[in-house]
Amino acid sequence: MSLFSERSIWTMIHGMGLGGAALLALAAGLFALYLMRRGDTAAIGGTDASRPIALLTAFIAVMLWLTTFVGTYIVFPAYRVPPPEGAADLSLYPRYMLLADPSTAWLHAFAMETKEHLPFIAAILATAVAFVAWRYRRGLLANSQLRRIATAFLALCFAIVAWVSLLGVFVNKVAPLE
Amino acid sequence: MHDAEHPLDPGQTGTLRNGPALAAFLAAGIGSFAMGLILVLNETGIFAPPTIYGPAGGVSGRTTLAVVVWLVAWAILHFRWKDRQLEPGRVALSTFVLIAFGILATFPPAWALI
Repeated sequence: MSLFSERSIWTMIHGMGLGGAALLALAAGLFALYLMRRGDTAAIGGTDASRPIALLTAFIAVMLWLTTFVGTYIVFPAYRVPPPEGAADLSLYPRYMLLADPSTAWLHAFAMETKEHLPFIAAILATAVAFVAWRYRRGLLANSQLRRIATAFLALCFAIVAWVSLLGVFVNKVAPLE
Repeated sequence: MHDAEHPLDPGQTGTLRNGPALAAFLAAGIGSFAMGLILVLNETGIFAPPTIYGPAGGVSGRTTLAVVVWLVAWAILHFRWKDRQLEPGRVALSTFVLIAFGILATFPPAWALI
């Protein structure tokens, strides 16, 4: 008997692997843009940071899309598989397990419903930042208005990813995909 | 990529065309708004996009449609603004209003208010 089921492994890839990488990269991206807030390179010893920042934003966007697609098309279908009629043990059917108990029903009705759609907005915002960082490079760092918008986008992404990650932890603690 | 290809690098090109960047940002706002609007329309029973992938259910259709709206909006805005210099303030304000609606509309308690 293996230690983890295939469903459990995909859940870990989704949440801790891809989602965790996105969250860490978002923190790094925000800090990098903060260092660049004056549009100069003094904060990093005079080196041109535009290429690593562009790479970082691309990494964020790719991680967010992968997290979102794995969540939507691999983890979520396993989560919502209906139990056979008359099944008494719902532990393999997380959605129905949560809804069967009024004290945990909110974890589906609020937490999972939020997780279904909100991450797509984060992925869209991150893609826009990655496009601008790649196309403009040093121009993005030198233009305070565009840099502020990009920073706000990444901050929103960070807040969204942190929020849906927390909701995911709650769902997985009560009704794990085993 | 050579610096001269970056349209916002004043030291290299002497031009400050922010159109493509603002097109990307506004399109992201439109995509976020579309995500929220599609969800609200679905929850109120007005419009339910067809399911794209059965095992995932309706979320596959809703999110795919929002992504299509985003990409189409981006393509149109990019084509129209690619050589233009725009006032960022109004575009940014519109973008963040659209994003705010999109985010709020994805919260289930908001559906109960409709």
